[in-house]
Amino acid sequence: MSKRTIPRLLQTPAVILLLLWMLVPLSMTLYFSFIRYVLNSLRKPEWTKPAFSNWRGFGNYEYVLNAKDFWFAIQNSLFIVGSILVLTVILGLALAMLVNRSFPGRGIVRVLLISPFFVMPAVNAVLWINMILDPVLGLNGIAVEGLNSMVAGLKDFPVLGAFFSLWPEFEPISFRATQTSAYAVIMMVTWQWTPFAVLIFMTSLQSEDESQKEAAILDGAGAWSRFRNLTVPHLARPIAIVVMIQSIFHLSLYAEIEIVSRGNGNKNLPYLIGEFTSNNIGAASAAGIFAVILANIVAIFLLRMVGKSLMD
Amino acid sequence: MAVIDQTSKFGKVFWPLLAWTVALIFFFPIFWLVFTSFKTDADAVKPEFLFKFTPTLENYTNMTENYDYWRFAINSVITSTFATLFALFVGVPAAYAMAFNPSRHTKDILVWMLSTKMLPAAAVLYPMTFLTKNYLGIFDTHFLIIVVLSLINLPIVIWMLFTYFKEIPKEIIEAGKMDGVSTWGEIKDILIPLAWGGVASTALLCFIFCWNEAYWTVRLTTTDAATLSKLIEGNRAPEGLFFGRLSAVSAAAVGPIVVLGWFCQKQLVRGLTFGAVK
Repeated sequence: MSKRTIPRLLQTPAVILLLLWMLVPLSMTLYFSFIRYVLNSLRKPEWTKPAFSNWRGFGNYEYVLNAKDFWFAIQNSLFIVGSILVLTVILGLALAMLVNRSFPGRGIVRVLLISPFFVMPAVNAVLWINMILDPVLGLNGIAVEGLNSMVAGLKDFPVLGAFFSLWPEFEPISFRATQTSAYAVIMMVTWQWTPFAVLIFMTSLQSEDESQKEAAILDGAGAWSRFRNLTVPHLARPIAIVVMIQSIFHLSLYAEIEIVSRGNGNKNLPYLIGEFTSNNIGAASAAGIFAVILANIVAIFLLRMVGKSLMD
Repeated sequence: MAVIDQTSKFGKVFWPLLAWTVALIFFFPIFWLVFTSFKTDADAVKPEFLFKFTPTLENYTNMTENYDYWRFAINSVITSTFATLFALFVGVPAAYAMAFNPSRHTKDILVWMLSTKMLPAAAVLYPMTFLTKNYLGIFDTHFLIIVVLSLINLPIVIWMLFTYFKEIPKEIIEAGKMDGVSTWGEIKDILIPLAWGGVASTALLCFIFCWNEAYWTVRLTTTDAATLSKLIEGNRAPEGLFFGRLSAVSAAAVGPIVVLGWFCQKQLVRGLTFGAVK
């Protein structure tokens, strides 16, 4: 037995398991994406069993590309992911800077800030859409109603009343509607993932070279210029990592979409695949392959960065 | 740093105050969830009872009748625990070998493992359902959920362990080898005691991720192996009538995990950035 045998044996179970986990379902998806395969068909019962004789070539891909829902889902996926990224990075940077200085109760502030990240996505969505954003029973509705009755009260004042009587009745926004449900998803996911960004940025800020900063202060550099010229370059890599990790997670966002609107007018790619899966497996598989391609574009960049830092 | 302190008097009060305010805003939804769970369903939807109400525990005592909470909770505990144990069982030896006997390919293997994590779950939804239902007959079983949860977290587990193990000086392991300790002995008597903290926080984080998983646990179960994610997802739209009881069951589902999370927030960075942010 050579010196290398034992280490290899120790890795083998992990490698084999992951290989099976990746290759078996994915190759089935690839196969299904090239055949006609539906779960129910009275007219063509032969299509309900996967078989090579039902070969369709790129037909499923064509079908998916021509489905109007597909482009909408891609667009919506990108819109949701993009908005979440912008919000979490900006909020995360600001909060990390804020918490990075020492002050009384900093430990508790950190604990409070990080908590949303550990809430299970299903609870997050149910909590936000019902108890916070609901236009009648949630805090959203209660707050708008409170505002309306306050304005109504102010109308009785002398002079000022004339001004307030010009104000309209406010209407709470319904976040279950087609146009707004994406915003609800963005809000709840931003709430959940900003703590993640804060945590990463904070860790990185603590490794910042303090002596360099002090030198900059002695040279008369202002707070903004120090942030711009020292902190931002130092944070470039953590920002890139936060962006990529979140992209991968949020491209497969599912529970939130399902709970907020059941995908009604607010589909993303995973949701659309789920819909196709209820009957048209061929189309679901083709859409799945597109999702894999989309995720890979992001993954390649992330893996490069991670790989670089691996051995030093 | 003590030499130069530029913060003005105003800043000394203002920034901490702002930090506290933001932290409280972020925590508010969780507070609100717990707060609402002490109201009756009728009180929970009345604005006039926003803060004025008689707290009650009935939502918690009735969780079993209302939602069959414990059945789902026990499923969550079983699947998350065994998935974590299985991931460690496979992951510890692999990470050990990679950290102490790296070969030319170790880096590639690690990066490849990570790439399996990036496969969108939705893309393989149907094959998974098809295989587990029609061929293997393990759809909606604890076994299936345990295997799936441990496999989706295995790359993170191996990565975290790898970064911890790499911090252990090689000489200690080599000294053990000189004394004729077996490989298993090395892992058990030298590595695990030294890396205990790392292994524990890896396990904790893996458990949290398993607990919160909401795609496979929802799509690959119906009743027998359904977890808390499935329970909450199934009660997504109570139409306002059951805010109290829904809050209680949600708070019970996330409370323990949020508290566990507080203890491993530092390790979270390592686990989620694969050691790329230090």
